[in-house]
Amino acid sequence: MPTLGLALALAVPSREARASETVTEPAVHPTVSWAVTQLLPSPEYVGGQGASYFGLRWQLTPVLYSFGINRKLSPWRFFVVEPLTRQSGSIELFFSPEYVFGLSTVLRTGLRSYFPLVQHGEYLSLSLGASHYLLEGHSGAAVEAGAYVLFGIVGAQVTYSPSHLPTEWIATLRLRYF
Amino acid sequence: MARRSALALCLVFAACTPLKIVGDNLASLGRAPRPVPNKIVHPERPDARLVVTWVGHATVLLQMDDVYLLTDPVFTSTIGQITKRLVEPGLDVDSLPTIDAVLVSHMHFDHLSLGSLDMIENKTRRLFVPTGGLVYIPNFGFETRELATWETWEKGGLRITAVPVKHLGFRYGADGAWMTKSYTGYVVEYHGLTVYFGGDTAYNQGFAQAHARFSSIDLALLPISPIHPRSFMQAVHVDPHEATQAFLDLGARVMVPIHFDTFVNGADAPGEARALLAEEARAHGLGPDSVAILQIGEQRVVVE
Repeated sequence: MPTLGLALALAVPSREARASETVTEPAVHPTVSWAVTQLLPSPEYVGGQGASYFGLRWQLTPVLYSFGINRKLSPWRFFVVEPLTRQSGSIELFFSPEYVFGLSTVLRTGLRSYFPLVQHGEYLSLSLGASHYLLEGHSGAAVEAGAYVLFGIVGAQVTYSPSHLPTEWIATLRLRYF
Repeated sequence: MARRSALALCLVFAACTPLKIVGDNLASLGRAPRPVPNKIVHPERPDARLVVTWVGHATVLLQMDDVYLLTDPVFTSTIGQITKRLVEPGLDVDSLPTIDAVLVSHMHFDHLSLGSLDMIENKTRRLFVPTGGLVYIPNFGFETRELATWETWEKGGLRITAVPVKHLGFRYGADGAWMTKSYTGYVVEYHGLTVYFGGDTAYNQGFAQAHARFSSIDLALLPISPIHPRSFMQAVHVDPHEATQAFLDLGARVMVPIHFDTFVNGADAPGEARALLAEEARAHGLGPDSVAILQIGEQRVVVE
């Protein structure tokens, strides 16, 4: 046991060593330009029960935990998330209001996880998620998958909702910047 | 009437220049990078003390006695997914020796390439970034450290100091609101040799300040492009004229220009920066021993 203790002591950097190193947490905060980009909707195609609709989806991330970010830094983000912090590997709580023309407003909230594939997710990443939604007094569950390029700015998401046939399938061209 | 015409021309120019830059980048996607003939396979020179090998753009392999450093490594075929190399890297990753330190000057895609860091991960001991830069360095197998301006890291006689430059700290644009300090130059000292790496910078007092602290600089790696459109670039990029002045401010013995003719660079014509620097050097009476304009893949012994 003393040997294990010594090995651990040698492996973990000393408090002094860590204290002497500069580590700057980014002062990530909402800005006017960030707020404007959040207004940009993602177009979507909604299909089910033999009918199809066009819709728009917005997205907000109240909280995100990044497992891809440098481990010396805080993995938590609230609302404002840098592309790499999200696409390099993360799990987010998201809130997505949608408007489906010919149907109604959809309020969706869920969890989504991102996985980097190429260049730490900046060139290509995937996502898997699950959500709960409200539509015309009906509530349901959905699962989704997505793929993203260009630092996550452009992506394609497919959402499947077996419990509500008019919105059984949704294909979204996900446009998102921060 | 003449004033209106001039204004109209200015407006057309202002609209056309960004479109030209975007168009040139998109056009580059369809072209294969120009090959580099006779690539060096073994860049190590045990017979020399200070050796510089230009890999392309701001990527330079430095040998200082038995220590190797790599600046702003970019070996990928594209940067930012939509800008393709015009010329292939002047050195293959397989030819790199073990790198004692990688110096990243700032977070822009042509200087911080995560795909390139993946490629050199097993050959890299440690990597340095400017203040606030760690947020864009995911977890790699090598040590990563921030260096604040004038902060020095030292180990085994190798000293690396972050020195002031004037540039931009963001990676994606909107992060410019808080990434306000994430750009730097570096001075590397080892065994009495001193090298200045300017990264990407506008002309500023930082060169004279660096000279005041490091009186004997053997080699200065200085960017010379993009030049155009000057009204925009002047605030963040030196042109060949300003780079020559920076070289004189630094009091360095040899200058090697970087950051040109590797990717589409602003609205510059290919070869323009190189030709203008050659003119500047002649005007200042600086021969090729002082201003060494290398080809991509070319190696130069600075100190025997």
